Amino acid sequence: MIVAARRPAAVVMASAALAAFVALTACGGGNNTTTTNHVLVIDKSFDMKTADPQREFEVSGGIVAKALYSTLLTFKGSDSATPVPLVASSYTASSDAKTFTFKLRSDIKFSDGTPLTSADVAFSFNRLINIKGNPSFLLSGITVSTPDASTVVLTSSTANPAIPFIIPNPALGIVNSKVVKAHGGTDQPGADKSDTAEAFLNTTSEGSGPYTLKSFSTTTEVDLTANPSYFGSKPFYNTVVIRNIQAPTQLIDIQKGSNEIAIDLSSDQAASLSGNTALQVKASPGPNVFFLLANDNPKVSKITPNQHFQNAIRYSLDYASYVQLAGAGAIQTPGVVPSMFLGALTPADNAKFDLTKAKAELAASGISNPTVNLGFPSDFTLNGISFSTLAQKVQANLQAAGITVNLTGSPISTALADYRAGTEQLGLWLWGPDYPDPNDYLVFLPGQLVGLRAGWAAGADPSLEALGAQASSSTDNTARGQLFQKIQRQLNTDGPFFPLIQPGQVVVATKGVTGADYNPTWTIDPAGVGG
Amino acid sequence: MIQPASAAKYPLKPGWRLPLPSRPFVRFLGRRLAALILLGVGITFVAFVLTELVPGDPAAANLGQRAIADPAAVQAFREHYGLDKPLPVQYVVYLEHLVNGDLGQSEQSHRAVRADLAEYVPATAELAVTSILIAYLLGITLGVISAVRRNHLADHVLRVVSLGGISMPTFWLALVALYIFFFKLGWVPGSGRLDPGILAPPHVTGLFTVDALFSGQFDVLTNALQHLILPASVLAAYNVGLLTRFTRSAVLEVINNDYVQAARAKGMPERTVILRHVFRAALPPIITVGGLAFANVMTGTVLVESIFAWPGIGQYAFHSATTLDLPAIMGVSLFVAVVYIVVNFTVDILYGVVDPRIRVA
Repeated sequence: MIVAARRPAAVVMASAALAAFVALTACGGGNNTTTTNHVLVIDKSFDMKTADPQREFEVSGGIVAKALYSTLLTFKGSDSATPVPLVASSYTASSDAKTFTFKLRSDIKFSDGTPLTSADVAFSFNRLINIKGNPSFLLSGITVSTPDASTVVLTSSTANPAIPFIIPNPALGIVNSKVVKAHGGTDQPGADKSDTAEAFLNTTSEGSGPYTLKSFSTTTEVDLTANPSYFGSKPFYNTVVIRNIQAPTQLIDIQKGSNEIAIDLSSDQAASLSGNTALQVKASPGPNVFFLLANDNPKVSKITPNQHFQNAIRYSLDYASYVQLAGAGAIQTPGVVPSMFLGALTPADNAKFDLTKAKAELAASGISNPTVNLGFPSDFTLNGISFSTLAQKVQANLQAAGITVNLTGSPISTALADYRAGTEQLGLWLWGPDYPDPNDYLVFLPGQLVGLRAGWAAGADPSLEALGAQASSSTDNTARGQLFQKIQRQLNTDGPFFPLIQPGQVVVATKGVTGADYNPTWTIDPAGVGG
Repeated sequence: MIQPASAAKYPLKPGWRLPLPSRPFVRFLGRRLAALILLGVGITFVAFVLTELVPGDPAAANLGQRAIADPAAVQAFREHYGLDKPLPVQYVVYLEHLVNGDLGQSEQSHRAVRADLAEYVPATAELAVTSILIAYLLGITLGVISAVRRNHLADHVLRVVSLGGISMPTFWLALVALYIFFFKLGWVPGSGRLDPGILAPPHVTGLFTVDALFSGQFDVLTNALQHLILPASVLAAYNVGLLTRFTRSAVLEVINNDYVQAARAKGMPERTVILRHVFRAALPPIITVGGLAFANVMTGTVLVESIFAWPGIGQYAFHSATTLDLPAIMGVSLFVAVVYIVVNFTVDILYGVVDPRIRVA
């Protein structure tokens, strides 16, 4: 028989341990002891890599850069259709959409009090270009000049009417050039090797945004504090904490009230919050477009380039069930341009599920009992939607039409290689906007980035390519919108792409929080959030 | 190598004795260090080869959808991380840097891997050590109770509980625990190492509890302990079950041996018999399992870290693997190897401490 538990010493130790536990837990219970009304806690599953604006191009990094750095132009709230001046007081575009002139405000200072000039803009933009990082493509083919201290001129080698929609991107945040240079920054060619300012910018922000950087971690949290020198309206929250929290934990946290905003909840998780009067759930169509592709390259597949076979796929997809699977906020996307951007198609253009037509098209293809492979990122989930689940649905839909699909999904790091090499017979992927302009979707045309991934080589559809060239250089937004609609309708009949859904983008905030609006360019603007 | 020496030469006597270092011990230590170096080299080699065999491209995994289509950006990425060189050259360069303590630069964090490990390892160590202390305390105690009360109600209950601890998936247990103790009861704070807005104490060890103590920030210490309790307990659940079952089994192996009966016949109190004769004799297998349990906890915390937003080595390893971040993968692999070697070494030493019949030869 063991008697240790009966000994006085053991009893005392056990009692002490219990007392310590109770004492600790009694004063636990979340962050009530530390947060105030002016601390904004945002939960986000981090993809954070850096706080250097010219290197970041991730969702988490965009939130941080938006708060720390000002851009020449911006968008208001959730709008992404009308760029408005921020650091620039005004801007003009030449009629050929090749030259854009920005006049700067004279009252803007960096957080250390240094006035912001055109030299800082030029340094920031050239640094972005020469670092050759993820966001460098934003200014591809553009040169920057500064006729005077308050004027910046961007000159594009080709017509680029999308520039005003690109400029608000947080990666084009303006840094204090003198300070960044003093800490190893450079905007000269070769900056990809010689620029060493990233470590510095991960500890200190050198911008003129509404907040300054207090602490930065790519894995735990980023703390921001209000910038007293900010030229705009003072933000309501003087401290912002952006925490790296996974979605299941975000769901618990937001109900407990230990954060103000949760960004990564899926539609299903958001649905579980219905009826919770302490929360506000905003579910709207997000900007990501999920699509299926059938490779047009006969070297990859003898089956998938067949136009009738592609039509069979188009008719065999039960689009409504994909929308239902995606949940609240999701919509069927009628084209590759998402619904909130210029040139988007309307629901009247939605592809229709028609199994009879699908079988007829398959018969017309002359291919009997076709078997094809479907590649997809098997470990990837976005907006709460697993690509594996979607792929199984595609498999079932196509099977009903008489097409056998082998699921050949693999982890995203390997699946991407096949997708980008254009070697998938069928592929299930998404396109997220790099900037909120339909020019970003010209990649779906023959010979372009995504077109090539579907084996659609340049010259495969000359009329469509001519339309693309016309749309990319048009300066009139009304005409551009019409051109992009025409392009998408033609893509939907002739192209190897099958747009499926725009999943819902869910933002959950506690009651009383205002301005927690989703914007495709930076997700959430902490300075725009009020209480 | 550890070998049992002659029982006649080293008769088992009650009491604890720490063997002093001897020449065989120094040789043993040297062999272990050599093994560590060889194992490290072997692991780096295997990791290099396996990463090359994976049909993926680190540039594709790390660059965005536009940048990957820009040859200049891809070239800059490859040059920056040395991926433009042939694999054997990359490996030799890596080893050269490794000799100087340079583990390379992570492709995901853009920082030195050594700096990343210095940040993440203490977070995991704080969690793991707390967890394993809970596991040792509860698991061994309950195991002894279970053995001593064999086939009684307490034994049946503890066997079921320990089976539950081993069987429950950690991620499920973590979510349930978070829901009950944080959301429903409010006894503990939610995720993370500290509440939002509380800054980490000045860095000394990276263990927030210890650093807060050093800096006299007792409010931070309290907060850090509050955040530690739940994830550490969840992480301990499996090992509590494991140690309970192993301890029970080990104690039952010896509890009726002749020398135990002799001790009882001499009129020793049962507590003394259990602790000084039975438990001590049962310790070697418990130490083996306990050591492996600690190594497993140090290197297998990814799910708990993910759910509790704990910025440890588990999350770092996961992100490294999914982005084919070779320098980080190598750094984590080396860390895991070192942990297992150090734990095995410690276990070997402890054998000699608890059983004088065991000596290095």
